[in-house]
Amino acid sequence: MKANWEKTENNRGVLTVEVDEQKFSKALDQAFRKVVKNVNVPGFRKGKVPRPIFEKRFGVESLYQDAVEIVVPEAYQAAVEETGIEPVDQPEIDIDQLEKDKPFIFKATVTVKPEVKLGEYKDLEVPEKDFSVSDKDVEEELKKMQERQGELVVVEDGQVEEKDRVMIDFEGFIDGEPFEGGQAEKYTLEVGSGQFIPGFEEQLVGMKPEEEKEITVTFPEDYQAEELAGKEAVFKVKLHEVKRMRLPELDDEFAQDVSEFDTLQELKDDIENKLKEQKSQDEDNYKRNTLVEKAAENAEIDLPEVMVEHEIDHMLGHFEQQLQMQGVTLDQYMQFTGQEKSTIREQFKEDAEKKVRANLVLEAIAAEENVEVDDEEVDQELKKLAEQMGREEEEVRKLLQAQGGVDQIRDELKIRKTVDLLVSNSKNAA
Amino acid sequence: MKDPRDIIRRPLVTEKSTDLMEQNKYVFEVDLKANKTEIKNAVEKIFDVKVAQVNTMRVKGKPKRFGRYEGRTSDRKKAIVKLTDDSKSIELFEA
Repeated sequence: MKANWEKTENNRGVLTVEVDEQKFSKALDQAFRKVVKNVNVPGFRKGKVPRPIFEKRFGVESLYQDAVEIVVPEAYQAAVEETGIEPVDQPEIDIDQLEKDKPFIFKATVTVKPEVKLGEYKDLEVPEKDFSVSDKDVEEELKKMQERQGELVVVEDGQVEEKDRVMIDFEGFIDGEPFEGGQAEKYTLEVGSGQFIPGFEEQLVGMKPEEEKEITVTFPEDYQAEELAGKEAVFKVKLHEVKRMRLPELDDEFAQDVSEFDTLQELKDDIENKLKEQKSQDEDNYKRNTLVEKAAENAEIDLPEVMVEHEIDHMLGHFEQQLQMQGVTLDQYMQFTGQEKSTIREQFKEDAEKKVRANLVLEAIAAEENVEVDDEEVDQELKKLAEQMGREEEEVRKLLQAQGGVDQIRDELKIRKTVDLLVSNSKNAA
Repeated sequence: MKDPRDIIRRPLVTEKSTDLMEQNKYVFEVDLKANKTEIKNAVEKIFDVKVAQVNTMRVKGKPKRFGRYEGRTSDRKKAIVKLTDDSKSIELFEA
């Protein structure tokens, strides 16, 4: 077999592959064995027709197509390996020469991985960003915990305040006539949540339990029910019950309730530590992402459309999975949002381009800097993974090997190492 | 003498006849009234080969009916012609 790679444009080229006669005749044999099972010749049972008779009757040419289908993928694969190109798409196959007792020649036009002209990737600068933990951050975190611990308590006497939960009956009239959807009983509403028409909730403030009141509001002009928009309505409201969130005191007791710590100070310290950890991770990620992004921006790549499309497919698949976890199919999602598939794809496009670029650039840097991952590192990563999954290392290895996951880990490690290299070579490297 | 092509009607190409070709035997459908000598001469003349032996058999037509009408297909005569070892073979798959 002979193969020849010829570049035409930037990322495309023609791979000319020559398959010698013997190989092709083998493919013909294979094709014949396949075809003969489905062919009827009088005087012969199905599948028992001898080759010469078959060829006399139908011609050798009838086998060509099947033979080509058998031989091309194999030959193409071998040719790709021989020439060392990295296709990113399915090839377009054109047949050049297909005759009896002559080598079979075909041309495959294919898009390959683009060449990456690396720009500056060392000494990159990451703009400073504040990742320190302030007292305020801790306070906020504490407050969130407090709110989670809060209880709703019925307010016996007293007036409605913002953020209270009230239970009300209401009936709305426009020009003295009740209207559809303007009535409910024992409806629970958080005052100030903005669920109701502007003005309604505000006027509840100050009411007392069992009090009745008439509230006059005007529907906004852009209200979704057209016949109500812009109209003035009077609501008869009866207040049943007021509930208010009672927050627990921030003291040692609270600390004991929500955590394993004895004092509030200890809890605060813990929160601070956790936040710091989180922030330092954020900072790390931020640095890494920015550096990769910059290196990608500095590099020159003629990005093939197909790679971006593949990435979009990938992202779309991921997105669909996420939706499904929420119990929504992609079709339903598109219905809700009124988006076509093409618009969603368009939205993904920019990110996809960035991602493909980044990957290509990282690969190029890895090649440039001879970043290698040895087996030991892979083993370590496997060990870590096994620990996370709570399984034996060997078990995990077997599991991954079945899915080709070990190579994936190797690739991931390689990328991580490359990014490490970017970080350690950046200007901000401490 | 009759025309050799009137005696030899057509070659029979079947699984069995293909197998027989390995033994240098070829199967034909021949005229019902033809005898072995005639068949031998006819084959030698048409294909330019040497015939060692001829076996013949009559094949009775099969009864066929179309609704009320009973009938049968025509009887045939088959001839298995064996060529001598030094003869060239017959390329007879023109059917």
